[in-house]
Amino acid sequence: MTLSPFLRRLGLWGITALVMVVLPLLLRQGFALSMLSQMGIAVIFALSYNMLLGQTGMLSFGHAVYYGLGAYFSAHALNAIGAGKLGIPVTLLPLVGGVAGLSFGIVFGYVTTKRSGTPFAMISLGIAEMVAACALMFPGFFGGEGGIATNRQVGSAWLGITYGPQIQVYYLIAGWCLLSMIAMFALTHTPLGRMANAVRDNAERVRFVGYNPTRIRFMMLCLSTFFAGVAGGLGAINYELVTAENVGTVVSGNVLVMAFIGGVGHFFGPIIGAVLVSFLQSALSSYTQAWLLYFGLFFMVMVLFAPGGMASLIMIHAPVVRAKRMGTLALPYLVSGLLALVMLAGLVGLVEMIYFLETGAEVGKPLKLFGLALMPSTTGPWVGAMAVMLGGAAAFAWSLRLVRDAWARVHAYLQVQEGL
Amino acid sequence: MSAPALELRAVHKSFGKTAIINGVDLSIAKGERHAIIGPNGAGKSTLFNLISARFPLTSGDIVLHGEPVTGLPPQEINRRGLGRSFQITNIFPRLSVFENVRCAVLWSMGYRYSFWHRVSALRAVRERADEVVSLIGMERRRDRLAGVLSYAEQRALEIGVTVAGGADVILLDEPTAGMSRSETEDAVELIRTVSEGKTLVMVEHDMGVVFGLADRISVLVYGRVLASDVPTAIRSNKAVQEAYLGAED
Amino acid sequence: MEFFVVQLLNSLSYGLLLFMLSSGLTLIFSMMGVLNFAHASFYMLGAYFAYQISRYVGFWPALAIAPLLVGALGAMTERFGLRTVHKYGHVAELLFTFGLFYLIEEVVHLVWGRAPVDYRIPQALDFAAFTIFSTSYPAYRVFMMGVSVAMLLGLFLLLTRTRIGTIIQASLTHPHMVEALGHDVPRIFMLVFGGGAALAGVAGVIGGNAFVTEPGMASAVGSIVFVVVVFGGMGSLAGAFVASLFFGAIQTYTVAMDYSLLDLAARLGMGIAADSPVRGLLSVSVAQTAPVLPYLLMVLMLIVRPTGLMGTRET
Repeated sequence: MTLSPFLRRLGLWGITALVMVVLPLLLRQGFALSMLSQMGIAVIFALSYNMLLGQTGMLSFGHAVYYGLGAYFSAHALNAIGAGKLGIPVTLLPLVGGVAGLSFGIVFGYVTTKRSGTPFAMISLGIAEMVAACALMFPGFFGGEGGIATNRQVGSAWLGITYGPQIQVYYLIAGWCLLSMIAMFALTHTPLGRMANAVRDNAERVRFVGYNPTRIRFMMLCLSTFFAGVAGGLGAINYELVTAENVGTVVSGNVLVMAFIGGVGHFFGPIIGAVLVSFLQSALSSYTQAWLLYFGLFFMVMVLFAPGGMASLIMIHAPVVRAKRMGTLALPYLVSGLLALVMLAGLVGLVEMIYFLETGAEVGKPLKLFGLALMPSTTGPWVGAMAVMLGGAAAFAWSLRLVRDAWARVHAYLQVQEGL
Repeated sequence: MSAPALELRAVHKSFGKTAIINGVDLSIAKGERHAIIGPNGAGKSTLFNLISARFPLTSGDIVLHGEPVTGLPPQEINRRGLGRSFQITNIFPRLSVFENVRCAVLWSMGYRYSFWHRVSALRAVRERADEVVSLIGMERRRDRLAGVLSYAEQRALEIGVTVAGGADVILLDEPTAGMSRSETEDAVELIRTVSEGKTLVMVEHDMGVVFGLADRISVLVYGRVLASDVPTAIRSNKAVQEAYLGAED
Repeated sequence: MEFFVVQLLNSLSYGLLLFMLSSGLTLIFSMMGVLNFAHASFYMLGAYFAYQISRYVGFWPALAIAPLLVGALGAMTERFGLRTVHKYGHVAELLFTFGLFYLIEEVVHLVWGRAPVDYRIPQALDFAAFTIFSTSYPAYRVFMMGVSVAMLLGLFLLLTRTRIGTIIQASLTHPHMVEALGHDVPRIFMLVFGGGAALAGVAGVIGGNAFVTEPGMASAVGSIVFVVVVFGGMGSLAGAFVASLFFGAIQTYTVAMDYSLLDLAARLGMGIAADSPVRGLLSVSVAQTAPVLPYLLMVLMLIVRPTGLMGTRET
């Protein structure tokens, strides 16, 4: 049975919506709920970023400007609602963020999109630094070091929705997230969206089929800043606090990392990236102080060895799955994966011991790791960890041959298939 | 007599102090198939880049359908009915063959920068794009990424992208360069089909192609038009033989 | 007047320090087209290495050893990192250096902690060199200027008097021609990257103790160096030099000026009502604009003159 692409797509969105509805009911801890909310915001933000990088080929180092300004305007609007000066429901507040993001997108985008490539990246960074510096110059609007605090339980409750409990906020975010995902996906299938891909591939040729690439870049940037602002608005509601960090380069870098790790070449890539990175950030940071280091290493490994991100790692397996040949790859993958974990364990051991010493742990107390009690003051654990890491690395390097051989077999099979 | 499709008036182009195009006057009538030949470095590709506004002119005028287009940006000239191909294949490598062609169709169908139409729902666009895909004989490659096509296929797609927008003046820059004999024959056939009822200007090195296709030929040497005439007259032109054709055999 | 002269000397020493960073970055940027985000990280590593080494063997050996170590790290970065991602294009290269920047910062956190380390200027240079009016000027600042000038002189001689220097100069403006002439461009890239990192390392050694050695120093200096390079222009060491001194001066002077437009208005006899909406804008002092000014100037430069101050080509 084959479904029409439209029905299949409808089904996919339906499943997505269902997962978003059901997930918080399955994971009942408050921790999970706040993480899910964070993920929803990150998904919108990362997708909006990928409208630039993945779809139009514009590398921006300053996308947080639009997210952050969207958040600030939403927070002020929320406070105005609280003071009875503004009469819009909280449910629609993300629109305020979106319009704020869009307005600044029009102003800054007019300047930045005149250039492409590295100059665009540089100007975007310059503007980001400028806005970040301004945030500390105008405490009236940006709230100085403390930021702008707000309260989302304002206005009249509608159907009992007060946005007091986190679960209501989650569903607000989920709703906006779903709408934004659908809108951004639909955009990729419009004339503008298709021409954005053409600009990414070959901006010069675009001029000779009647289009102005600058105009396309500008419009894509504006639309993307709208969604970044929506994400910012949701952030203001979710955290009830907007600080200058929200417009800063760290947030800009973060969204870039999310999109990249997820994979900028596919629409769903940034969704994976946003979910994965949000999860890692919450999960790792509660376990280890060195999580930023692990995260950085992970990013570097992706840049060096999987520049297409998670999405392309998944997609190269699609024809293999279709040809029912995953069995060939399974064992080599398992072996390599286990050996990689051994190598990683050694590395983690070393890093954690260094941190343990550096943070001035009490002398004589052991470091508990992987169920072991290590004494970093003695040489034994160091030699052990080093041996595990190097041994694991050597074995892993060897096991990659298995993976390569298996892939060669799969490729040969696929080629024969295609020839028939 | 109606206005010529394309007219060049005293066109000059210098890069720094080096003059590449040195006063070219050229008039190409509607429906004509016009070939520009000349030795390497004569400025043929530069001339195309000037006509299509890829480079700005140093001085002179370019007139399309009786209207001056000098100084307009490339996209504006394209919208007025001039399509061009490139000597080095210049397509969208990460889009499929069909999408390459569709990108070239969208503007002429009036969809411009729309972000409220769904492209797959635009039947006229799809039909026109598929028409061009089959015109260039690539139905079987329709959904392949352009970047993985063979060289000859990419050259054919290059022509497809050039003509898809319905331009009535078509500039082809060395469409058969680097092709084998049989590939060249296919390309000539393709060029003949796509230029049916249109004005064609092409730069070409293969004399077989030139004399087989062109109604008129202009010989460009050192940035000047040495002669512009029908093929038989060009063949017997003493100056041309000395400057160019003679050197070939 | 006293303020002016002291600040002039300060801005000069700071500007020269900036040029030690920006010269390397310009060379890398112009030759390889990679805007190395991690360049200032090498500056930071220079400072931390010098701190660590000087604890064992003193400042003077550290002045020589630390930059060499940093240079070797830089060369390895090019050889095993950048060269691998080069085939994926400029975005991947940019992201690689971006990731490296974060990674180095985290490694510094890991090894030396988050607080500033106690990296001090050597005793032998801890005295006042001379006195201007009533301010005594520290000898270490003079030493910094001396080292900077010596390094820059060395760089100048290397670029103008040696064969490799000529090739590097040629590849600044015509990167493809050099390869066409049969030079081993990857090896030159590695040398330039290592050399640039070493130069940044020297700056770190002499700057780390004059200012402060802490994990945030790379991002603080990095963004200014970045501005300097873009402002000065691609492929132009002279542009980078002028821009370094210019931004050194801007940063040094503006920080010390506590005037605002409001003060100016008051002096001109124009009272601005306390509840006026423009009051917030006007009360911003020159010192407060100091962090914005470099980026504002950079963005303006990129818009008005994309090649930068003295650049020969667009980026």
